[in-house]
Amino acid sequence: MGGLLTSLLAGVQALEASQAALDSTSNNIANANTPGYTREVADFNENPENLTGAGLSGGGVTLDGIQSVRDELLNLQIQQQTSDQSSANTQSALFQQLQTYFSSNGEDLATTLAAFSSALAQLSANPGNSAVRQSLLSAGQNLAQSFNTTASGLTTAQSDADQQVTQTVAQINSLTQQIAQLNSQLTSSVTTSQNGGTIEDQRDQLVQQLSTLVGISVTQSSDGEVITTANGSPLVMGSQSYSLQTTTGSDGLQQVLDTNGTDITASIQGGQLGGAIQMRDVTIPAYFVSLNTLAVQLATSFNRAQAQGYDASGSAGQAFFSVPANAANAAAGISVALTSGSQIAAGSDGSAGSNGNVANLSAVFTNDLPSGETPAGAYSDLVFQVGNDASNAGAHSTAIGQSLLQLTNQQNSVSGVDIDEETTNLIRYQTAYEAAARIVSTVEALSTVTINMISS
Amino acid sequence: MRVNPNLVPNILADLQQSQTTLNMALQEVATGKSVSVPSDNPEASAEMVGNTLESANVDQYTQNVSGVLSSVQSADSALSAVVSSLTQAISLGTEGANGTSNAANRQAIAQQVQSILSSVVSQANTSYNGAYLFGGTASSVPPYAADSSSPSGYAYNGNGDANSVAVGDNRSVQVNLPGSQIFSSSSADVLGSLSSLVSALQSGDTSAISAATNSVSTALSYVTQQRVFYGNAESQLNAQETYLQQETVSLTSQQNSLVGVDEAQAATLLSQAETDNSAALAAAAKVLPTTLLNYLATPS
Repeated sequence: MGGLLTSLLAGVQALEASQAALDSTSNNIANANTPGYTREVADFNENPENLTGAGLSGGGVTLDGIQSVRDELLNLQIQQQTSDQSSANTQSALFQQLQTYFSSNGEDLATTLAAFSSALAQLSANPGNSAVRQSLLSAGQNLAQSFNTTASGLTTAQSDADQQVTQTVAQINSLTQQIAQLNSQLTSSVTTSQNGGTIEDQRDQLVQQLSTLVGISVTQSSDGEVITTANGSPLVMGSQSYSLQTTTGSDGLQQVLDTNGTDITASIQGGQLGGAIQMRDVTIPAYFVSLNTLAVQLATSFNRAQAQGYDASGSAGQAFFSVPANAANAAAGISVALTSGSQIAAGSDGSAGSNGNVANLSAVFTNDLPSGETPAGAYSDLVFQVGNDASNAGAHSTAIGQSLLQLTNQQNSVSGVDIDEETTNLIRYQTAYEAAARIVSTVEALSTVTINMISS
Repeated sequence: MRVNPNLVPNILADLQQSQTTLNMALQEVATGKSVSVPSDNPEASAEMVGNTLESANVDQYTQNVSGVLSSVQSADSALSAVVSSLTQAISLGTEGANGTSNAANRQAIAQQVQSILSSVVSQANTSYNGAYLFGGTASSVPPYAADSSSPSGYAYNGNGDANSVAVGDNRSVQVNLPGSQIFSSSSADVLGSLSSLVSALQSGDTSAISAATNSVSTALSYVTQQRVFYGNAESQLNAQETYLQQETVSLTSQQNSLVGVDEAQAATLLSQAETDNSAALAAAAKVLPTTLLNYLATPS
């Protein structure tokens, strides 16, 4: 009887195993399109043989468990690249916004500088003409307006980045709380030797989302995952989450603090948060410095040239431009101080028809400013800087996109559900189930024969 | 080795790339420009700043040249009229110094010379576009006004300064001579000599008439010399006009090469991008829906 019962047992075990395998296959098919789902495989193991009188006989099959197929290293690589790309995308989006102020749109500095310079040339030929003087005054007002508009464009981009900081920190805190909860669920469920599959999938999804928000570093510990920001400030340790806070800094912009209250703004990299901070605190302020320097130096130089000549009524030239005392507001606040074209100091001898000082006024455009460039040269450098930075951010994002695609392909090739594969598995397990059922019915038939042997 | 079963992200990425290329080609054909924001081509955008400034300047310089040319020509024709007037005055003076004239003739001649003097003064007060050409830089008041205290009967109200007009980036042309240098200079006083000829004729003193006629001759040679300035100015301006025309052409061509689009090339790229896009879409449509299930018979 040992033989028949052994076979029966083997058959039943096979039925159970095939059943479980079918379950996991159908789960895979059901979740074929679930984001972050890692496919499950049934882990079959041969039972140890039994030593009976007749010799060694097999022990049947056991289902050791349903295993999720995932590659942790790939996950880490994907997280890193996701942070990098997300940072580049955030910067790229802000660039799209502020680049328009440097494009040839009729009100940009290149256009108004050109109009002002050519109005000076017109004044040279018609110094006594009041309409020509008025048009130089208007050209000056348009130039000041361009400075104002460009500065305000930069300020808007900066405050948009600032808002992103606040929003992103709130999202980060919500995610870290959820991850910590999942960590605690995971540690308790793994100890009861259940596959953490679904929970781990969810947690990995959340960590992936977190990596788009900020650059992170993930390590495993006995408590679950330990997640810190790229420079080491803790976000999640096992089942404990640590919130980031924002506070208004001295310049009116939001600073990011860790749980202990330390200001970690400057050391955050990667993700939307890193990208927004980079633009807000490094990139845009550099543009502001160039723009403000140009405004101050152009105004000072032109005002000095005005003072060297005489206006239409023979008085010494007054300052043409007025610039705020604080150089940081120079471009935002520059304006024309003169109120009438007759105040333009075209003359060098006090008469209304002299153009002797116009050469000095025009020389402001052909001579170098203290920065070492002509006004057009200085602005052209700024345009190049903006264009180059914007183009680099876009190119970086595209390049990482390619690399991410490769990594994601690899991840899918490891963990993705292949409908064809699952279909063939269905067929396999179905066949195995049918065969195992056959064993049971065969053994039943044989047992009946055996029993009948006894009873007849 | 297991391959990625999920083709959709790859296909989507390729379709997006193809769509982006198509959009860019479309924009280039529609706007005729290959650069609309600095990131499209940072170097070209930076160079365009200089080109924009230069183009505006060259346009204005071209206008300056044509405006100044007109006023210089105007001044020159005024001086030409003055030369004719002085020539006439000399022949009148010679006639008056001639012994055959009598007092009545001389009075009549004196009248004629007086009206020549008035006409020379009105030439000296020529204006162009509202500015007096011979007042130095004091171009808003007539240079010569009647003044009985002056020996010639006219006083100079202008100044001795000259304007140089910008016709190029570091190039300017002096455009006027002050009237005091032409009409009432200490070397040869046109107005003074005419006025003294009138007095001499009225007095009837033939030697005085001869002397006065000689000084009008001197004045005539002097004015002819001064005219050379205006002739030179004209040549300089004409040369500059040619140069500016060349500059305009070269700036336009630079602008085209920086941000312009070759239309034939852009149209070709657009049609190619459209073809590529259609091909990608058709391929995606073929590949996406096929799985093993399409081929398995349904279980009976």
